[in-house]
Amino acid sequence: MDNGATMHLAVSLLPGTADTSPGEEPEFSGLAGLVQRAEAAGIDMVLLVDSAPASSNNAANSTVPFEATTLLAALATVTSRIGLVAAASTVAHQPYNLARRFASLDIISHGRAGWNAVMAQAPREAANFSRPEGFSDTDFRRRSEEYIGIVQGLWQSWDLDALLFDKTRGRFHDPEKMHLLDHKGEFFSVRGPLNVARSPQDKPVLVLSGLTEADFDIAARTADVILLESGSVESAKARFDDLKRRATAAGRDPDAVKVLTNISLTAEDKPAATADRLETQFRAKSCDGFNIRLPQQRSALDDFADRVLPELRQRGLVREGYRGTTLRSHLGLAGGGDQ
Amino acid sequence: MTARMKLGAFLWATGHHIAAWRHPKAYVTAGIDIDHYIQLARTAEAAKFDMIFCEDAAGLREADVGIASQTSRSIGFEPISLLSALAVQTSRIGLVSTASTSYNEPYGLARTFLSLDHLSRGRAGWNLVTSASPIEAANFGSTGLKPHADRYERAREFAEVVTRLWQGKAPGHDGQSFSVHDPLDLPRSPQGAPVMVQAGASDVGRDLAARTADVVFTAAQTFEEAKAFYGDLKGRMAAYGREPDDIKIMPGVSPVVAETEAEAREKHEELQALIPDDVGVALLSSYLSISDLWRYPIDGPLPELPESEGMKSRQALVIEQSRRDGLSIRQLARHFAGARGHWRIVGTPAQVADELQARFEGGAADGFNVMPSYFPGELDAFATLVVPELQRRGLFRRDYEGNTLREHLGLKRPA
Ligand SMILES: Cc1cc2nc3c(=O)[nH]c(=O)nc-3n(C[C@H](O)[C@H](O)[C@H](O)COP(=O)(O)O)c2cc1C
Repeated sequence: MDNGATMHLAVSLLPGTADTSPGEEPEFSGLAGLVQRAEAAGIDMVLLVDSAPASSNNAANSTVPFEATTLLAALATVTSRIGLVAAASTVAHQPYNLARRFASLDIISHGRAGWNAVMAQAPREAANFSRPEGFSDTDFRRRSEEYIGIVQGLWQSWDLDALLFDKTRGRFHDPEKMHLLDHKGEFFSVRGPLNVARSPQDKPVLVLSGLTEADFDIAARTADVILLESGSVESAKARFDDLKRRATAAGRDPDAVKVLTNISLTAEDKPAATADRLETQFRAKSCDGFNIRLPQQRSALDDFADRVLPELRQRGLVREGYRGTTLRSHLGLAGGGDQ
Repeated sequence: MTARMKLGAFLWATGHHIAAWRHPKAYVTAGIDIDHYIQLARTAEAAKFDMIFCEDAAGLREADVGIASQTSRSIGFEPISLLSALAVQTSRIGLVSTASTSYNEPYGLARTFLSLDHLSRGRAGWNLVTSASPIEAANFGSTGLKPHADRYERAREFAEVVTRLWQGKAPGHDGQSFSVHDPLDLPRSPQGAPVMVQAGASDVGRDLAARTADVVFTAAQTFEEAKAFYGDLKGRMAAYGREPDDIKIMPGVSPVVAETEAEAREKHEELQALIPDDVGVALLSSYLSISDLWRYPIDGPLPELPESEGMKSRQALVIEQSRRDGLSIRQLARHFAGARGHWRIVGTPAQVADELQARFEGGAADGFNVMPSYFPGELDAFATLVVPELQRRGLFRRDYEGNTLREHLGLKRPA
């Protein structure tokens, strides 16, 4: 039982900060090396941000030439334990396609995949997705909620024991264990079922970010992980308590929702001071852990892994290594299979 | 140097034969095992195939749940994630995935394939389809399958926007179906642009291919059908200012090959014996766009059919075959179950090579999309028996000439 006792840690590698020198083609292997380093350090998960399409109009300066879900698939084949979470926009994808992509990523990674849904609209994105008028904030919120419900519903199209593989009797699966969604809503109509098998970790992990308070109920009802910007310890604690209360009110175990605070680290931060800062916030019960934002540089990750993490481990604040194999098991969430 | 044929390895779960999964040696958990696909990809790469090819459907293949449960096609990997995983587990082979113009947006699709192209360092391709199934349509709204002509009109606009995005341009596009303003936020493709493949062989389908495709995947039973399609499509290209050689036409072929002809026949029969009648008829009817084919006497002829709004070309192919060979519904269904109407060859390596050579040299194909009956067995058989025979005849490469899919296929680098 580490819930409450040890913190959960995610690492985000920020785009536009890679080590590559000008003119050099950015490489997958460099990124893979970073994620393998994070895995060796026992980090719960890496968050792959997706540069909002056209948020920077200068393709030549983009140092991550990869879209996040395709990158996740590739990283899954060169890692074995660390959770891999990709951002994917609800404007850029149809819910059926997104549910399928992540269900597939979850099987490719043997139960280590997560979807980061961003609750804020990316500027200009709608203009490239045939929605020049965009969405009003309230429409976008209702649409996001409906969208998330569809995706999570599709992830349960197949019962875990639905596949029979019975060659002799000619029964590949049990039709009783396949479920239609039959969703008809305000924004979407989706019949289902998904044509990807059930996730090895029950369903991919849902990570929500970009929330305002108006999104808290949706998050408390649906999210496995919520990322919040850092603030004062008091305000963070108030938000944390608020979210856990809402989760309880929605009939969920408050511990089934992990609230992580975003922390940006730079090379200048001193390891002991960083550890102190994380310890204070964690002990004040203002979060379940942190999402550490780092520049995409080996030295920044090494600093964190070699200097801050040992300090935190020494204080008993971070578990020693992975005990399970799925992302849900790293996060102490139900359905992880092998906790 | 004599021209060499292009070869695709069409990977699909347990195999292309509808009953493949029931074969004792078929790898039945293919749809949930990434290692199986990595192994198949390595086999295909070692055999110097130009590319791996993946189909796609955004929904179940079968309308009837009982029928669906007797096939292995209701679950599998989503192909873009699958190929992205394979991209970093291979180094030379091309990676082509099918994706629909009806249920995607051009900006997102162009970006995703460009990302696959970067991950693979210039080995990605997109197989453009318009999606013919009402089952898929029900996962994207409540209005049902759009008419054939509307789907192709959307596809034409879609392809135009994608082409401009891959050229690194800001499309500034406000059209009938799409509005797309900004350029992609990714660097240009290592091969200029991902390869554009197209499957779709109706009249409008051919026009779209003549305008935009680099490769065309098609289904043809006889030499005459294949040759007529080949001539027709290449003939349409001049109207768009293109050379005949700018498109590689690669019909599907599903060989059952063994050292002796008797063994090959035995392998074929072994698979045929595993097809339940209702599954065969259901598969046939889904491609004919008729939902109640089972009502007709199974040993009688195909009824008169209204023209399909789904896949017009395949419907025409089956009707032609039923007339030509005078086949009953049962016979047609059993034949169709082997490779969904694609060309099937049963024989020795030399016989298979003879047949491929005849179509290749006879102006009916630039290469073939190889559709193994079951995996891994029939891919291994093709790689170890047929490929060396083709190489001996100088018809297929012994090693890759370049690093990108465009180089393998001998395609120009786009401006
Ligand atoms: C050889 C061949 C393979 C095809 N493969 C697919 C596929 O994998 N997924 C799909 O949705 N449609 C596929 N299609 C059909 C396309 O959706 C096509 O755009 C549509 O059915 C119209 O076909 P038509 O032009 O032949 O009438 C295929 C078509 C052909 C001819």
